[in-house]
Amino acid sequence: MSGTHPTREEDFDLYALGALDGDEKAAFETHLETCADCKVQLADSYGRMALLAFSAPGVAPSPQAKERLMRQLALTSPGRGATAVELTPEPGGILARWWEVLLPLAGAFALASVLLWVHNQTLERQVADLRSTIVRQQAQLSQARDVAEMMSARDAVVVSLAEQKNQPEGTARVIYNSRRGLLVYNGHLAPTTADQSYQLWLVPTTGAPISAGVFNPASGETNSIVARVPPGTAAKAFAVTLEPAGGKSAPTGPMILVGPVL
Amino acid sequence: MTGETVTELRASDAALIARIVQRDESALAVLYDRYAGMLTSLLNRILRDSQAAEEILQDIFYQLWRNAGQFDASRGALPGWLLVIARNRAISRLRRHNPTGGEELLENTVVLPTNLESSIAQQQMVGKVRGAMDGLPKEQRAALELAYFEGLTHSEIAARTGDPLGTVKTRLRSAVETLKRNFKK
Repeated sequence: MSGTHPTREEDFDLYALGALDGDEKAAFETHLETCADCKVQLADSYGRMALLAFSAPGVAPSPQAKERLMRQLALTSPGRGATAVELTPEPGGILARWWEVLLPLAGAFALASVLLWVHNQTLERQVADLRSTIVRQQAQLSQARDVAEMMSARDAVVVSLAEQKNQPEGTARVIYNSRRGLLVYNGHLAPTTADQSYQLWLVPTTGAPISAGVFNPASGETNSIVARVPPGTAAKAFAVTLEPAGGKSAPTGPMILVGPVL
Repeated sequence: MTGETVTELRASDAALIARIVQRDESALAVLYDRYAGMLTSLLNRILRDSQAAEEILQDIFYQLWRNAGQFDASRGALPGWLLVIARNRAISRLRRHNPTGGEELLENTVVLPTNLESSIAQQQMVGKVRGAMDGLPKEQRAALELAYFEGLTHSEIAARTGDPLGTVKTRLRSAVETLKRNFKK
């Protein structure tokens, strides 16, 4: 075992949290390499610190996220029908000292098989990655096409969102097509603090506001969101609120921008 | 709901992983329904960008699909792995690091103190963790959130907040000590 056990119990949680740095981190890792007991204790700390995730505000993924995943699986599943190579014996009889020829050949064949197998695995991984990239690009293309169609459709509405009194400056525009359940947001807002996020809401004519995305603009940049909501949702307004980082399932913070659907 | 569907929903993570290894897409869909909400909440909190969060969410489940055979249940529960991987990836993205390719399934052992396979267990955990966080002094909670949700070290938190390094260390140490005590209750 190298080095002494960490003197404080909390060091395990702090390491799992990623808070240790410099010499403290190096000493902890050096000891960990050779101490099975501490590895067990660290596994508990990883689990305990992972639970901090549950303090995040609850946000559900959009239904499209699952659809995209399942489409990706369908398109990237490895194909069937690996090529079988059949070896047929050379005609012409058996050589007198056949093993002198065949043994080195068999060795070379085995080595070549292993190398080919490894190469094949690498290629399969690369093909899967490429397929995955294609699926993602197809999804982006499809989304871009949807957005282009939606923006040029006659039933798309353009809503200007205006800043509110005593709130940070900002401006934004939403283009919304209720028939397609698609909206595009473009806006300028100052960056939030680390513990806050902006959240875009569609306020329907009936029912509770629907979250259309959480965002955190970089300084001086235009922020864009493409979001889908249930098709046919009639909107009476769009709003941006300031929420705890990660967003909320219903608006709780101050309204920063609001725009009625005219 | 059919009997078959109920059976699917009650299947253990280990049984579903075994089916994923056999390339059963419906098993991955069940695991997705079980854990996507928990992961999306975490990813949104770290990234504060719902589109980026969903990209990582999709990547994580796709990696699970591809590498399910490498998952070793003796080295920890699946939700623990998923939470650790999601946090690592989101923080890498936040800090513009190159995301790893899912090989982290092999790295650390993560033992959860409780089973999180049911939505009720997850809801109870939300209450427990939020209660524990609410009970922390404000400065301790802030330091803990900077470490967990932004991936900052002691020194980085001190630089960010302007507090002395020793003060930051004491706050974090007290915070994790209190949490450990509360999680045991």
